[in-house]
Amino acid sequence: MTLRRSRQHTHGTPWNARSAGVLALLLLMLTLAGCATTPHLAESTHQRLPRQALIEDVPFHAQRDYQCGPASLAMVLNAEGVDVEVDTLIPQVFLPGREGSVQPEMLATVRRHGRIPFVIDSRLDALLTEIDAGHPVVVMQNLALPTWPMWHYAVAIGYDLDDNELILHSGEEPERIESFRRFDATWARSDRWAFVALPPGALPEGIAEDRAVAAISAYERVQGAAATLPAWEALVERFPRAAMGHFALGNARHATGDALGAIQAFEGAVSVQPELAVAWLNLGLVLRHQGDLPAARRALERAADLPGHWQPQAREALAGLQEEIRS
Amino acid sequence: MMKKICRFLSPLLIAALVLGSLPVAAAPHATPGSDLITTEAALNAERGQTDRERIHEILARDDVQQQLVAQGVDLAEVEARVAALSDEEAAQMADQLDQLPAGANIVGALVLIFLVLLVTDILGLTNVFPFTR
Repeated sequence: MTLRRSRQHTHGTPWNARSAGVLALLLLMLTLAGCATTPHLAESTHQRLPRQALIEDVPFHAQRDYQCGPASLAMVLNAEGVDVEVDTLIPQVFLPGREGSVQPEMLATVRRHGRIPFVIDSRLDALLTEIDAGHPVVVMQNLALPTWPMWHYAVAIGYDLDDNELILHSGEEPERIESFRRFDATWARSDRWAFVALPPGALPEGIAEDRAVAAISAYERVQGAAATLPAWEALVERFPRAAMGHFALGNARHATGDALGAIQAFEGAVSVQPELAVAWLNLGLVLRHQGDLPAARRALERAADLPGHWQPQAREALAGLQEEIRS
Repeated sequence: MMKKICRFLSPLLIAALVLGSLPVAAAPHATPGSDLITTEAALNAERGQTDRERIHEILARDDVQQQLVAQGVDLAEVEARVAALSDEEAAQMADQLDQLPAGANIVGALVLIFLVLLVTDILGLTNVFPFTR
């Protein structure tokens, strides 16, 4: 912002370009220097976390050429128990035309290898919490400036709260130590983007309910219901009030042939959110498959009564059921 | 004469195209072999997604596939790479692949940039040169 203003200013005045450039540069520095301070951690974080933590068994893969994306993925996947080589990952995530790897494909590749990528909260507290829980975190940094970006992926594996330092496997350097201040300045330029790759059934410590639901649902699309079932179970255990979580669990159970479990989960969904029409609808449909027609009718009537997106389908299902009962 | 035929044909063509695209929009609402509403469809409805957005996201996957080929991705890999994206990610890739930051660790090597980055490195704002630490 400051840079642009000074440019406009010099446009109309007889200064030569060099002094204008120097001034612009100075202003730029001052603006940037104003932003970079040691990031502030919440008091609760200080109380909760140990002063030091280091995840010992994260293998280090040095990046070659521009391939910090595949190298970071290999480190985090290996640490989470997936046996995969950097050379396997390169054709799966590297974009030759961009000489790099983009964020959506970093997440997508994690899914292909049977782990769920969870983008964590963009706060240093969340990052340190995951490290303390034993999960290495892939972070995206811009090591240079917004105007000449130097995008980089690294894996955060440890920290020291007394020295305000983060420990990362980064580029060609294992266990590199970066001050919180310098790290946060480079991390902030990616809007503090970071993710963990967890096996289905594990959830990040402080993740929001809707983000977790979206991450697990995206995984289910790739790996199917059976592989995703433990993740839905974990989600409703963590968030017993998440109606969509119960609903999704019901669908996954139904898809793996567990009709009774599905009914239970759909009942869970409507008990926490009685106006969730889509859960009444699926509950009614499964009950109908099971031959419990009176219960199916009660559920479908509830669904058909609720206005919204699913009302036409619910009415149709109810009409079909009533025909079946009559005949 | 030709105009007349066109006037007569175009509404038919439009109708055919619209009807043809309906199954595409409707398909993801049910899993094959069962008539339950899928989790994905329920989540999309909850987000207030319209059918138009839904179609846009489905088309986005084709678009991403072409873009990946253009970026030099191995043909054998393209399909699996696109399949692993969520709908939202596919739409994001289709709309702005050029602007998405690509983690790569490269920077333009002009002298001015070098000097600026050297100073910002020393100030602890950036992390380009290992020797400043």
